[in-house]
Amino acid sequence: MTNVVATPAPAEHAGQSAPRLVKMRRFGVGEASTLPISLMSGAVILAIWWIVADLRLVPHLFLPTPGEAATAAVSVFQDGYANATLFEHVGASLLRIFTAAAIAIVLGIPIGLLMGLNKWAKGVFDTPIEFYWPLPPLAYLPLMIIWLGIGETSKITLLALAMFAPIVLSAQAGVRSVSQERVNAALSLGATGFQLLGEIVLPSALPEILTGIRISLGVGWGTLVAAELIAATRGIGYLIMSASQFLATDVVFVGIGIIAACAFAFTFAMRLLEAWLVPWKGQN
Amino acid sequence: MLRVDKASVFFSARDGRIVHALDRVSLDVPDRAFVVALGASGCGKSTLLNAMAGFLPLSSGSIALNGVEVTGPGADRGVVFQKDTLLPWKTIAENVALGLKFAGARRTERLERAHELLRLVGLQDFAAAAPYELSGGMRQRVGIARALATDPAILLMDEPFGALDSLTREQMQELLVDVWNRTGKRIFFITHSIEEALFLGTHLVVMSPRPGRIVARYDLDFVNAFAARRDARAVKGAPAFGALRDDIRDIVHETQVLRSAAQ
Repeated sequence: MTNVVATPAPAEHAGQSAPRLVKMRRFGVGEASTLPISLMSGAVILAIWWIVADLRLVPHLFLPTPGEAATAAVSVFQDGYANATLFEHVGASLLRIFTAAAIAIVLGIPIGLLMGLNKWAKGVFDTPIEFYWPLPPLAYLPLMIIWLGIGETSKITLLALAMFAPIVLSAQAGVRSVSQERVNAALSLGATGFQLLGEIVLPSALPEILTGIRISLGVGWGTLVAAELIAATRGIGYLIMSASQFLATDVVFVGIGIIAACAFAFTFAMRLLEAWLVPWKGQN
Repeated sequence: MLRVDKASVFFSARDGRIVHALDRVSLDVPDRAFVVALGASGCGKSTLLNAMAGFLPLSSGSIALNGVEVTGPGADRGVVFQKDTLLPWKTIAENVALGLKFAGARRTERLERAHELLRLVGLQDFAAAAPYELSGGMRQRVGIARALATDPAILLMDEPFGALDSLTREQMQELLVDVWNRTGKRIFFITHSIEEALFLGTHLVVMSPRPGRIVARYDLDFVNAFAARRDARAVKGAPAFGALRDDIRDIVHETQVLRSAAQ
């Protein structure tokens, strides 16, 4: 005996209105887009700023209107500020952070991988890194200036130190995330030590390393601007500092806007880099 | 021939107790043989496979492949794992060719061999796909192709179908029989499914836990019967198959009960 149950024809929805689409109920915000709400929030903040400034609720010296800040931006862009063009200021800051990032990456990734693989390397490097990593970099900036002078070397060293630790720690965590089965599989396919490192360990650790680089760019950018406030003759931090000494609040706002735009660009570039280098992230 | 001679393994457990995982196990995997180790979890069958693969040293005894003692992992023993260990940043073809890359083969040669092996496991259309685009059963087929790429003397398979649904699992068993017939490889295969063990093996060892040891050995012919007539249902429905399945179920059950009574 067979028990085949007749199924209704699939065309049951034809001619009717579209079916009601359903989804599992879920907790928290999840993937829902907040773009319209975020845009509205930004507009409200801008409006409040404008109203407060326009009605002179605070002294004009302290708070320019958004329009005045925009005008200042155009003038700084055209004529420069504090003995240098805007591009020279931004260029000086970017040169510092990219030099420091290159040093931190070139040293940090191999040392971090080594610390994840070797007991001795971990023991040796853990002590200094765990000691200096929690320190605010500005706390040892004076020491850098005494040792290395007021020039570029001290600032780049400071930045490289600040950016080195997150990269080392993430490379180390990346090695720890390599599964033993994956290593065993490679060994049973005849991998040598170097092949294991290049073909298995480094690519497995790459997502974590890229996260580390992103964090270190954030840390480095913050440290750089602060360091330039204290000791520099060029750079975005210096631009803000000299503007504040003349109470040019509108130019200070321009500097803050540029810093935010650069930070946003870094994050965006890193996301693109991640999408390009580790498209498999989150897929397994 | 892969020969395991009085292999014993002692571990220290996390709480400091000593675990006797493998107790003087002796076993041969002759030419063209399909040896299946069957047992409940904790019976030492994975320990035995890990020792054969060279992932785990023995406490005593020895394992030799064609007269050469096993001292570590190597490309002469292909391993298929329960969890797929494909590299997500490589395509399916590159994953299959990984062992050849390690051996220093040229790219064109590697990919040619990879395509040949993908045809063997029926995945020729997925050479350029990423591992995460494939289903669990397909990924295990890639795992088999990858293990075959370096032309190993033996395939070691650690519950490769354990995580698959039962329909996929039956398809994979039949595919494995084909692969075995076409390549003529020795296979050492671990499972906790009695039916799978009977269907696949030419030799069957039943293992029991605490300490892990072999409690029964059988020579089987069901796999050849299937290869000859390609009728899995007839093979599994035969009275001899059912009788043996019940016998082995009794053995597994008895040893389990005895061990737990002795604790």
